[in-house]
Amino acid sequence: MLNQGRTPITGQRVQLMATCLCDAFYDDVAAATVEVLEHLGQEVIFPEGQTCCGQPAFNGGDWDASRKVVRHTVRTFAGDLPVIVPSGSCAAMLSHGAALEFEKEKDLGEIVALGRRTWELADFIVNGLGVKAWPGRYDATVAFHRSCHSRGTGSGEAATALLESIAGVTLRPFGEGEQCCGFGGTFAVTFPHISAAMGDLKLEHIRAVQPDVLVSADMSCLMHLGGLATKEGQPIKTLHLAQVLRDALKKSGAA
Amino acid sequence: MNEEREQIMMRVRRALSPIQERAALPRYDSEMVVQRAMLAGRDRVELLAERMQRVNGQLFTDVHALVAHLSAQGWKHGYCDPVLWPALAVHFQGFTVELEFDRTRVDDYAFGITRAAGAIAESGTIVLNDTTTSRRLAALTPWVHVAVVERATIFLDVPAAIAGLGPDRNVIWCTGPSKTADVEGILIEGVHGPGVQLALVV
Amino acid sequence: MKFQPIDLAAAGLRPDKRASVYQSTKATHEKRTKLLFEQYNDPDQLRRWAGEVKQHAIENLDAYLPAVEAKLKANGAQVHWASTAESACQQVLKIMRARGATKMVKAKTMVSEEIELADYLGRHGIEALETDLGEFIVQIDHDHPSHIVRPIIHKNRREIARSFEREGLGAYNDDPQTITSRARQFLRHKYLAADVGLTGANFVSAESGRMVLVTNEGNSRFCLAATKCHIALIGIEKIVPRDYDLALLLNLLGRSGTAQELTVYTEFITGPKTAEQPDGPEEMHVIFVDNGRTDVLESDCREILRCIRCGACLNVCPVYRQASGHAYRSVYPGPVGAVLSPLLEGKHGFAKKADLPKASSLCGACHEVCPVNIPIPDLLLRLRNRANQEGIASPGTPPMGAWALLASQPLAWRTALVASQVMNHLPTNLLPIPALRAWQEERVLPEWRGGKFRQWMSQRRKAK
Repeated sequence: MLNQGRTPITGQRVQLMATCLCDAFYDDVAAATVEVLEHLGQEVIFPEGQTCCGQPAFNGGDWDASRKVVRHTVRTFAGDLPVIVPSGSCAAMLSHGAALEFEKEKDLGEIVALGRRTWELADFIVNGLGVKAWPGRYDATVAFHRSCHSRGTGSGEAATALLESIAGVTLRPFGEGEQCCGFGGTFAVTFPHISAAMGDLKLEHIRAVQPDVLVSADMSCLMHLGGLATKEGQPIKTLHLAQVLRDALKKSGAA
Repeated sequence: MNEEREQIMMRVRRALSPIQERAALPRYDSEMVVQRAMLAGRDRVELLAERMQRVNGQLFTDVHALVAHLSAQGWKHGYCDPVLWPALAVHFQGFTVELEFDRTRVDDYAFGITRAAGAIAESGTIVLNDTTTSRRLAALTPWVHVAVVERATIFLDVPAAIAGLGPDRNVIWCTGPSKTADVEGILIEGVHGPGVQLALVV
Repeated sequence: MKFQPIDLAAAGLRPDKRASVYQSTKATHEKRTKLLFEQYNDPDQLRRWAGEVKQHAIENLDAYLPAVEAKLKANGAQVHWASTAESACQQVLKIMRARGATKMVKAKTMVSEEIELADYLGRHGIEALETDLGEFIVQIDHDHPSHIVRPIIHKNRREIARSFEREGLGAYNDDPQTITSRARQFLRHKYLAADVGLTGANFVSAESGRMVLVTNEGNSRFCLAATKCHIALIGIEKIVPRDYDLALLLNLLGRSGTAQELTVYTEFITGPKTAEQPDGPEEMHVIFVDNGRTDVLESDCREILRCIRCGACLNVCPVYRQASGHAYRSVYPGPVGAVLSPLLEGKHGFAKKADLPKASSLCGACHEVCPVNIPIPDLLLRLRNRANQEGIASPGTPPMGAWALLASQPLAWRTALVASQVMNHLPTNLLPIPALRAWQEERVLPEWRGGKFRQWMSQRRKAK
């Protein structure tokens, strides 16, 4: 079911979609993604022309603008290699959102084809490559925030399976784990009160289990939660899943 | 009035005309909604008793126990379907039981005893219909409703009860006493209908 | 900075009201999930089937509506059609006047809220009394429901007790049991004195013409036991193909709405009572209401017509939990309302409620719990696009044209990435993009490191 319609993985070369957020703020997350993929024996190709997946305008309702960016993305990621993206949100944009906004467009076929070979990182490792356990060591109690865009996909379970398999990691489930953190793209700025209230609630649940680090497969959620926590004067340590996987290989911990 | 009907139908047809392939009715088995593992190999009456209890109803198989229960609670004045009364009268010594329901005195009746058309074991439901229930009001307005259920009329599960709805113009399933959680989400029973739902299986 | 109306409503909501909405929606949602997943191996499969059944029904209304009409007539009911709210109200009044009726008892029906029937009848000298406890309290308070299933989720017992005292229903007492039994006593005599009972319908089977009504309180049953005339107001989308489908839908409705296996009273009605039964309506009228539904059917959001009004999407929605129902300015709040309410305004009224589809982080929880599997986030997105296409202004929404231009020109993009590092040195209020300033109101912006990854990547490549 999960891999229905997905292009199966056969080779050892992938294209990396670093995401605009990592391009602008989180270079270490993109670097960690590269190191993790290389550890798995993949040759990582970084198409220099990449910009953004088109989601901000898609969510904002400006589909003309979004389609322009998606078309650019399709051109940039030409070919048939798997596209790996360290974000459930961008992956969902390409595998679901783009198809929605291209429903009546002539080039729908190309958009769908890109979506079929696009993988969120954890999903790729576990469900694409069949790697179920992660080597190395990482000494930390971890709270994992499953981002909303991975609902109905294999990403959430894949990420928790990988984390649980790492020696030294103690995964701490927290209350209302299925609830949204309140980021929601432009929602974060157009509905600031609700967005912040949702984030505070999420932080409350997370703090209750006293993790060393909050991990997610989406930097957007972490940028929001981390930014809220810092603004409130109670910063929390946040890491992308890729960073934990990379650090585990180096046998270093959070502390 | 007919004009409005035509207008709506026209709009419906217009709205649907661009759809190239209309959604098909799925083939599915309503067996999927049945909690079969829970039902397997169980006696229907036992199961009905258990499931009624889960929704705060109570089942009796012994008329003496039922009468003792009513008596202990001080529910001594009620209505009984005249068809049932000849068999029950002997057990209701010391009770005031009316065989005609007077809608101007609904508050006088602590209980109403009526025949049920059946029951659903899976959900703990009593099934009433217009043919078997002597008065809709008598099964609804007293604080206590006693449904007299014949053992052979108990459906095992909900799909079976749907299939067995029959030709009656009005069928009602009662799954426990009347309830609300409108005030602060707190469960309160006996809002408009019975606060106590009992069944006597015969 | 301009704020969205729903965000302002949430910010202004009294903390105790927010807490009570949050607590009770959370509790119901958790019970719902537990029940479904404990009792069924694959509840999601059930939701998909139910969705397909309803989608099939609405996409074949041209055949099903005449079929159900014929069945109802054959069963002895009179069938009427109303295109608009006004027409539906007028037809109810006409039926009542023809009988010389002056008193109506109403069960809870969302369509009657939608067409504001009680107010209309009141203006025409008819007492139309709400009998659902929550709706009764809404009515005596001249308030509006704030939840589809739990109309007074925004009220606490003290407020209700004060209303009861004001209405002469006894001295102040805020015990929920006392409140309920006072309503019981007051309303039962109203039912018995009423001429007409008005209900909606949860489902109508095209196969048999069987109407299905569910309530927990038993108020619709009381309406149909005490009065001699039954009027049912039914949205045209309530049709299901077969009686067979009712087992699936009823099991999902009870579990999804209130975490019950079945709602307490499930009534199946095919026509007026027969002569042998002393109680109940001798006359039955069914009014099929359009009131914007055919517009929805024509739109690319017709899936919303599958909705069975269970309220599960409200209960799970983080935005509803913060804002409560009145924030949506509509009869239908929450995620389903954010789609349905603007559409029901019709082609020309859409703009009035075009902000509702924005009130979502698109988290998808609503889709995940919907018993008829409505892809609500997709529909919200389509409506956002529609608002954009129609040029409807949206407070605080950043313009995307310039961004799209930048994001489709790689060279300009890379230059901007590096150049924007200057932002690290700007005070918050001087940030060049309003969205970033807004971000900083609530959160800290991380350090801008545009271009660093590309640098790292090219060095790594050279090193290999």
